[in-house]
Amino acid sequence: MIRFGPGNLRIPKFAKPVYVVAGGLTDYRKKYPEKNTCQLCTEGLRMAVEENDLKVDPEQFRRMVNWAVYSQFADHFGDQLLAAAKIHDYLGFDPLGNVEIKTGGATGGSAVLAAAQAIASGYANCVPVVGWERMDEVTTKVGNSYIAAAACKDFESELGWMYAAYYALMAQRYQYENSVPHETLAKIAVKNRLHAYYSPFAQNPGKYTVEDVLKNEIVSDPLTFLECCVMSVGAAVLILADEETAHKLTDKPVRLAAICGGSHTLRTADRRNMPILLLPNETEATYKEYFQGRRHEWPGFSSFLAARMAAYLAYNMAGIKDPVEDFDVLETHDAFTISDVQTYEDIGLRPYGRGHEFIDSGDAYFDGRLPTNLSGGLIGTMHAVGATGVFQLVELLWQLQGKYDKFHGDPKMWTRYGKKKPADWKSLQVKNPKRGCAISHAGTGSHVTCAIMEKP
Amino acid sequence: MAIDWPTRAAEVLNDEPLVIKNDKFWYHIHSYGGWGKFFQGLRAKKLLATRCTNPKCAEKRLWLPPRAECPDCWHDMEWVEAPQVGTIYTHSTVTYPGELFRLAPGTPLISVEIEGVCTKLMSWLKDGKPAFGMKVKAVFNTAKPTNTILDLAWVPA
Repeated sequence: MIRFGPGNLRIPKFAKPVYVVAGGLTDYRKKYPEKNTCQLCTEGLRMAVEENDLKVDPEQFRRMVNWAVYSQFADHFGDQLLAAAKIHDYLGFDPLGNVEIKTGGATGGSAVLAAAQAIASGYANCVPVVGWERMDEVTTKVGNSYIAAAACKDFESELGWMYAAYYALMAQRYQYENSVPHETLAKIAVKNRLHAYYSPFAQNPGKYTVEDVLKNEIVSDPLTFLECCVMSVGAAVLILADEETAHKLTDKPVRLAAICGGSHTLRTADRRNMPILLLPNETEATYKEYFQGRRHEWPGFSSFLAARMAAYLAYNMAGIKDPVEDFDVLETHDAFTISDVQTYEDIGLRPYGRGHEFIDSGDAYFDGRLPTNLSGGLIGTMHAVGATGVFQLVELLWQLQGKYDKFHGDPKMWTRYGKKKPADWKSLQVKNPKRGCAISHAGTGSHVTCAIMEKP
Repeated sequence: MAIDWPTRAAEVLNDEPLVIKNDKFWYHIHSYGGWGKFFQGLRAKKLLATRCTNPKCAEKRLWLPPRAECPDCWHDMEWVEAPQVGTIYTHSTVTYPGELFRLAPGTPLISVEIEGVCTKLMSWLKDGKPAFGMKVKAVFNTAKPTNTILDLAWVPA
C-alpha cells in the first residue's frame, strides 16, 4: 500500500506567475549528419527569438537572459558529457548559470518545470529551455539497447534490451483486463501520423489505414512498428519569463498555469497497490464497478501512478474540474498506442478501463471535444527524447497563440527542410483555444509531468 | 624529437557531410553490491528474496527483486527463500530485441506472480507457450551461469 502523509499531496504553488513567450523547433530526422548538436540547438533558439514576433531583437534578448536550462535524455547517445556546457557556450550565454536536467523520456517536461521553478521563485526572470537528442550515431539496435539501459540493469534490461517489450508486457495485461479492440489502438497511430502529414517538422508522416497498422510487423506482441514512436535527431526551445518580462517580449504571452511532476518505480514489477487517487472529475462511485470491483489492485500494470499524481497536482493547482471540458488542446506522450490509452485514463479523460472511448467517441480528433497530438506526437513527428517535452509545449504555445498556420502552413517552412507542402495540406489550428495541456513521460512511467498553459 | 601522428585512423563513413566512425572496445564492470547474493543463489537453485527485520516496520513485504534495505524504513533486510512456483501475470514475445540480448528473438518474456511475494518479477519462459494465469516453476542455469537475471527462467508447472 502507498499511504500518503499530509505533506505528500500538497498542491504546488508558484510564488510569482510564470509565462511562456516563444518557441522554436528544428525539423526531426532519423539521421542528421548535415548539422551537429550545437547547430541544431542554435537553430531552435533562433526560431524562438527571431520568428515568434518578439518585440526585441536577438541582441536585446540575449541581454535579458539570466538563467538557462538544458534538456538531454542520454549522454550515451550524444557521446559527449557536459554537452550543455558546449551548447551554452555555442549559444553565447556564458557566463550565465545553467543546469542540465535528466528524467528519461520526461526530461523535456522536467526541464520546463525546473525553468518554471526558477521564474516562480524570482531567481530568474528570462529563461530559455533548450532540449535535444542525437540518436543517429549508433545503429537502431544499439539505440534500443541504450534506451533499455534506462530500465533496471540488474533485474530487467537483460530481458530484451528493448523498451517496446517492457511496454508490451503492460499492454498485454491492460488488454487482459480491459479488452480494447486492436482497431482502436491502430486508430491512434493513424490519427497521429495523419497530423504529422500536415507538419513540416515531422519525421514519420503518412496517410495510413487501420488495416496498415494491424497488418504491420510486430516488434513485441501486441505492438507493431507503426504503433511505436520514432527515434529522432533534433532540438526544441521554449522561452519562459515572469509577467513583466513576458510583456516586454511579446504581445501574446501565455501563462503556465501549472506544471507538476509525479514518479513511480523504474521496475513495473515493484509497483504496490493503493486505492485510486481521485481527480476532481471523479468520485468513489466512479470506480464501484472498476475491474470487477478490484479497485484496490490499482495501478497494477495497466495504469501509470506517476501520470495520475502529476495530473492530480496540476489540475488542483490550475483549478481544472474536468479535463475534456476545460482543455481545448492536448499533447500526450504517445510513445506507444497502448500507453496513450492508459494515459487518457490516468489524466481523467475517461475513467479507468474506458480510455478507448476517448478515441472511439471522436473526442481526440481535430474536430472532436479535445483534439490530441495535433503536432503529430511521438509516433508521427518526433521523439528526439530530450527535446520531446519541450516540443510538445512549443506546439501547444503556437496553438494558443493562433500561430499553427504560421509555422506549419507557410510553404517556405517546408522548403527550409527540403520538403514540399502537400497539395492537400490542412490547417489544424483549433478555433480560439484558451487552455492546453501536455504530458511528458519517462520509463515505464518512472517520471511524468503535467503542464497546463492558458491565455491570460 | 618530433612526435608521430596517430597510427589508428578513424574510418570515414561519408565525406560530404563528413561523418567518421569512432571505435570503442572496452568492458564495464557491474557491481551488484548487496544484491549479489541473489545471483549467487541462482547458481545454487535458490530464489532469494528479502524481508525487513525492523519490528516497527509496517508492511514486512517479501521483495523479489530483493532490496538490501527496506523501502519503507531503510532498515536492513534478511534473505528468505521464495517459492519456486508462480503464475504468469502478463507476457509478450519479443520479435525484435535490442543489441546485447543474449536469448533468441522470439523468446517469451513473462511477469510472474508468486504467492507471498509483493512484486511481479520479470523473467522469461524457457519452454511452452505463455498464457495468463498459467502455472509455472522456476528453472536455473547452473551449468554455465551468466550471473545475470537470465540464469532464472520458468517452465510450465
